[in-house]
Amino acid sequence: MSFHRFLLRRAIMVLPLLIGVVFITFMLVRIGGLDPVGKLAGPTATQAEFDSIRENLGLDQPLWQQFAIYLGNVAQGDLGESWLSNRPVLTDIRERAIISLELLFWGVGIGALVGIPIGLRAAFRPNGRFDQVTRVLSLLGFSIPTYWLGLVMIFVFFYLLGWAPPAIGRMSLLVMTPEPITGSYLIDGLLTANWDAAWSAASHLVLPVICLAIVSAAPIIKQTRAIAIEVLASDTVRYAHACGLPEKTVRKLVLRNSAVPVLTFVGTEVTGLVGTMSLIEYVFAWGGLGQYGLNAIISGDFTAVQGYVLALALFSVVVFLVIDIVVHLIEPRSELS
Amino acid sequence: MTLLEVDDLHTHFISRDIDNRVRVAKALNGVSFSLEAGRILGIVGETGAGKSLTAQSVVGLLRPPAKIVGGSVRFEGRELTTMAPDALNRLRGHEIAMVVQNPRTSLDPLTRVGDQLVRLHQVHSDAAPAASRQRALEMMQAVGIPDPQSRARAWPHELSGGMAQRVLLAMALMNAPKLLIADEPTTGLDVTVQAQILDLLRDLVARFDMATTIITHDLGVVAHFCDDIAVMFAGSIVESGPVRDVFAHPAHPYTRNLIGATPERFRVGGARLLGGQPPDLYNLPDGCAFRARCGFATDLCRTPVPRTHVSADHVALCHFAGQLDAAPDAEAQA
Repeated sequence: MSFHRFLLRRAIMVLPLLIGVVFITFMLVRIGGLDPVGKLAGPTATQAEFDSIRENLGLDQPLWQQFAIYLGNVAQGDLGESWLSNRPVLTDIRERAIISLELLFWGVGIGALVGIPIGLRAAFRPNGRFDQVTRVLSLLGFSIPTYWLGLVMIFVFFYLLGWAPPAIGRMSLLVMTPEPITGSYLIDGLLTANWDAAWSAASHLVLPVICLAIVSAAPIIKQTRAIAIEVLASDTVRYAHACGLPEKTVRKLVLRNSAVPVLTFVGTEVTGLVGTMSLIEYVFAWGGLGQYGLNAIISGDFTAVQGYVLALALFSVVVFLVIDIVVHLIEPRSELS
Repeated sequence: MTLLEVDDLHTHFISRDIDNRVRVAKALNGVSFSLEAGRILGIVGETGAGKSLTAQSVVGLLRPPAKIVGGSVRFEGRELTTMAPDALNRLRGHEIAMVVQNPRTSLDPLTRVGDQLVRLHQVHSDAAPAASRQRALEMMQAVGIPDPQSRARAWPHELSGGMAQRVLLAMALMNAPKLLIADEPTTGLDVTVQAQILDLLRDLVARFDMATTIITHDLGVVAHFCDDIAVMFAGSIVESGPVRDVFAHPAHPYTRNLIGATPERFRVGGARLLGGQPPDLYNLPDGCAFRARCGFATDLCRTPVPRTHVSADHVALCHFAGQLDAAPDAEAQA
């Protein structure tokens, strides 16, 4: 199948999925008991004011009508306005998605770079000392609550040791923000040769990135180990030994044969980490999409919640698409379908 | 000089149970056989008898918890059981080649067939890559793969089972081995393909002058294919000798049962069913392990079993070897 047809087919397949996501979030938000009107109107509002706000927001119309209007708008690329920020939800999401992606990229990237070699090394000697130590460490990574880890890291590295900058966002308040090009302070700082900004952005990235890396490395270690152990026990590796292939060649073979399942796992993990992202962003006042979504949920900002969930769904779709393409490139058995 | 000499080989599975007590499964109990260049030995026996384990012990492919605890394996006079792993690695796939079952899952799924052949040749020789490629095509031709040029570019998953087994044979031939060990090379293939592969194997063995060990549970394969036979039961070779002698005058009751259970026997009459479970390897009985299933067993069978020569090369591990025809017939048990 040609690549274009594959993309087209995938797009068509994704459409009902996205409509489903829109429908479910729309209904859940509305059944969820959130009522933004009270918050918007304030404590001294009269019933008439309540009603007029309700009417303005279109909340007095039947649910199915509200949904039809919303779906029509979404189809035209209009996600509505956030009642909190008074800006189009799409603009908010666009701005903040890059901020979150930057954190996610570094966090999961470092988590994978550290986790995969550790998992492989543990697999080559199961139940050896290295395996036992890393097993305990990854269990810790699994079981420590993310927000607690973030808070402790801030306490230790900012408050006690003073090594890290305060957790007040992505950059020091004393540094001029660089000219926006990509939206990432670090990259923009580097691109515009604004070294102060780049340095400040990098130093603010350290703690949340480490926090995310720890959380994402733990399952990667476990899964990589399990996958590699399975490959090591496979007929292929047995036969490679029977052919007298040198240990180095066999290891390369194990690496290549583990690559596809490990990559697939990391991909699914990335999409599963969005919840964790919200907490980390909240703790570090990161101001990305995760924090935006969490705030929207807490304050009952319907359109923002819906836009947030839709953005996450789209993100998953894209991640899985990328995984499929990468897998297709390394795995001759796979077909784009 | 004898090419391969296995002497009193003991392989045990040593593990610990849940109470941390050591448990030992005696999987090979004093396996001895030898193989001269140009001969074909068939090892037969039921599942769990230790056929494959014998092969793995010989070439040093045991994985924990399996471990050789005694005996020796000499290949051209070199002791293999104490050989360094990388020295053994240089021997495997080079002077000792293996053909395994499950050819399709055994080939590297991410490497084209031709590249795997070349890789195997490159690892064991200093030939130029072009020469290796040439040899790969020749070997694919030799094992009857049509259009080797294009097949060399195939991925393993694109091959049929029979074709994959031919590729494995080509792999085995790549480095002109002196000894070929074929571990159930036709299991999992269609019957017609099985015959083709066996015929091919026989031709190749004659053409390339290899000593060959073929592990199978198909007596027909042994009868048509091998010079010598070794019958295994519960980790011991209970009877061995030239195929003709053993089939004509089986000296061990287990061999008699095995031969009696072939489908041909059911047609011509005199068939026997092989009853019973293999003995518990964690807890082997004293004396003869086949005692519980043997119609001839007496109290004598509780004592250590002698290796009895029926003729010069025909040996059986039985107190009554050579006297069974005179002994009371216990066929009725089946």
